[in-house]
Amino acid sequence: MKTLKRMRKDLILYVMLLPGFIYFTIFHIIPIVNMKLAFEDYKIIGENTWAGMKHFNTLFSSPAFLDVLQNTIIISSMKIIFIFPIPIILSLLINELRFGPYRKFIQSISYLPHFLSWVVIAGIWITLLNPADGAINVIRNFFNLPSIDFMTSKEHIRWVLVFSEMWRSAGWDTILYIAAILKISPSLYEAAKMDGASTFQQMRYITLPAMVSTVITVFILNLGFFMNAGFDQVFNLMNDSVLSVIDILDTYVYRIGLMNGQYAYATAASLFKGVIGLILILGTHFISKKITGKGVW
Amino acid sequence: MKKLSLLFLTLFVLILAACSDKGDTSTEPEVNEEGKTVIKVVFKDDGPSNPEAVKFYDALEVGLKEDKGLDIEFELVEVAQGSYAEKLNLLLYSGTIPDLIYFQGGDEQIENQDLLEDLTPYIEKSEHLKGILQAHNKTRLENYPYLLWVKNIDNKVPVVRTDFLEQTDSGATLVKNPTVENYTAFLEELVAKGLVKNGVTVAGDIAELDFIFNDAFGVTSSWLQQDGAFVYKKVSAAEKDKLAYYSELYSKGLLDNQYLTQAWDTKEDAFYNNQTGVIVGTNGKVVDFYNSRQKQVNGETATLTVLPPAKGVSQGYGAISVTKETRGLAISSQSPNKELVFEILDYLASPNGLKLDSLGYEGTHYTTNVDVAELNDKYYSEWFARYWEPMNADLGVKVSEDTPLLSAPAKQSQEAVNSYYHEDNNFTIPEDMISQWDAMENLYKEYAADIITGKKSIDAFDEFVTKWHASGGEQLTKYANENIK
Repeated sequence: MKTLKRMRKDLILYVMLLPGFIYFTIFHIIPIVNMKLAFEDYKIIGENTWAGMKHFNTLFSSPAFLDVLQNTIIISSMKIIFIFPIPIILSLLINELRFGPYRKFIQSISYLPHFLSWVVIAGIWITLLNPADGAINVIRNFFNLPSIDFMTSKEHIRWVLVFSEMWRSAGWDTILYIAAILKISPSLYEAAKMDGASTFQQMRYITLPAMVSTVITVFILNLGFFMNAGFDQVFNLMNDSVLSVIDILDTYVYRIGLMNGQYAYATAASLFKGVIGLILILGTHFISKKITGKGVW
Repeated sequence: MKKLSLLFLTLFVLILAACSDKGDTSTEPEVNEEGKTVIKVVFKDDGPSNPEAVKFYDALEVGLKEDKGLDIEFELVEVAQGSYAEKLNLLLYSGTIPDLIYFQGGDEQIENQDLLEDLTPYIEKSEHLKGILQAHNKTRLENYPYLLWVKNIDNKVPVVRTDFLEQTDSGATLVKNPTVENYTAFLEELVAKGLVKNGVTVAGDIAELDFIFNDAFGVTSSWLQQDGAFVYKKVSAAEKDKLAYYSELYSKGLLDNQYLTQAWDTKEDAFYNNQTGVIVGTNGKVVDFYNSRQKQVNGETATLTVLPPAKGVSQGYGAISVTKETRGLAISSQSPNKELVFEILDYLASPNGLKLDSLGYEGTHYTTNVDVAELNDKYYSEWFARYWEPMNADLGVKVSEDTPLLSAPAKQSQEAVNSYYHEDNNFTIPEDMISQWDAMENLYKEYAADIITGKKSIDAFDEFVTKWHASGGEQLTKYANENIK
């Protein structure tokens, strides 16, 4: 009775919660229930038939699967290592900009690439990296360095993925960190200044420690998506010459699962990805809790 | 708190129930308020949100009523944006199975679940359809009687601007005697004369280039006889020679050095902007489009000429797969209106049906003057036949020679591919080998790209062959030798 009374009092809040609840139920919870398809053979009409571990056995026995798994891990690791710190650094730098309109301008242009689709971004990067007249190679040629065909080079293509992802997401990802920075009391900076702390020292001893909890949360949540190495990005930047180094789990599942209508097989691969993501999230959460006392919850 | 949890749990169960419907498989024909039978159709780009599609099906309803006395209402099914084959499969797998389905791949998985109707008995007793089938349609239907697509074979042909061809000395020689050497000489002269930056470009891979050169190098079918046994074309000695030649074209700058990152639209732009001299496009309508776009961009004199396939060991635009249609229309085996749906397909093969589908609407796309149809600009800029396009179709009216259905180069392209028609001996890859097949194809694509672009020497081809066999090729070759008759 007490609960109902309290709910009636906060009715408007519950109504506001409803769309989010429905969204997560339809797009995130029901798919988990339907993951049982990984153990079945799908029938459009009639009941699915039990297939046990058949799809997992096919998945793990395929040499191509092990190759794409290796690519996924390498590309995701590169992205975590090289992209994750960039928004943190960028937000610290933006925080140091004192002239309001200039700061807003920098923030706005850094957010812009986030709103472009990967089809457009791929077009931009392919043009930019063109060995004949792309801007990057023109600059290289200016310094008497030979042109590099980055898009078809097995040595460079993963770095193209890392830098294009960095360009697209670094600005947008600063939002959370800037919000964390804005929460810091200005009195702390004033006190530090009076004590003679330099800008770098203020950053090191005030701003960064205040961001730690946000950084850890974002890091742990990012690890949950570790096996998503970026389908749209890879799909649009892939070409025949670099298949063996950037073919990832998602593009493999797309070809075998979706293009060939092998949905149960595709579900098995997705379930595998999901389980790895869950293990990574829980593992990092508990390790972080033990070391820093902070985690996702 | 318990009540709150209960509330959310109830909500969750309700949403789950709402989302778990596998679809309606009613066996009763659906009839609208006016007593018309509702026929559900799913077709690429022809959803209910497309006013042109709605108008076409309205006109088809009128034609069916007037000519056949059939009371039909078409209900167009919307397919989500994106790759049609992928989104259609998602639609069908969700349990929504329209009466008439247009496939652009992915039909075999649906057929494996016995959801497509065998069209053989329907075609046998058809009034018009059996008469417009072409040789390749008949063989494909014998092998796979679930998909119907009466169009010309879809091989691609190389095209070049006629004025560029005439400005070169080697152009006339190439047309007369299209040897591989003469092809090279022509591409070299196009570049040397400064007409274009590179001789030929393709969209992303060498499949389009193969339409010109495969037969000349002896890659005349999917499985080639080599030392008394069948060998897959991509691991054959002929393929090695062909890749060595492509590599030579690439190193001389005759094959666009950026072909790997070209998409179909940038490939066409390069052609219209005179960056490249030759591109390869599907015979018929696509060549027609290239021709009109080229004239639009570079003036009325910039018409196209279709180049012959290279001549060598053999000559042709490639072997025609007759295992099945690669795209086409199927009738759902679950439809309560199968006979009626086929009657519609048969009507579309009749003179009146073909006239509506091929010419558009009288007064809008053409005018008739004493039984001769004169097509107008609106026809050329917006109309295309959705269904059947048989060669020499009887449309019930003559089309004026001043306004032909297809431009001269497009017509020439159709005649050219038909004159080189020869059947392939390929077969559908067994389902349990699909993931290995994917790996083998990727292996080929990467080695081919590396050899052509000079990252690997042609000697690496032997290493590729060994890896290909180890990746499942051995098993597939054994299967091929046991099954190819």
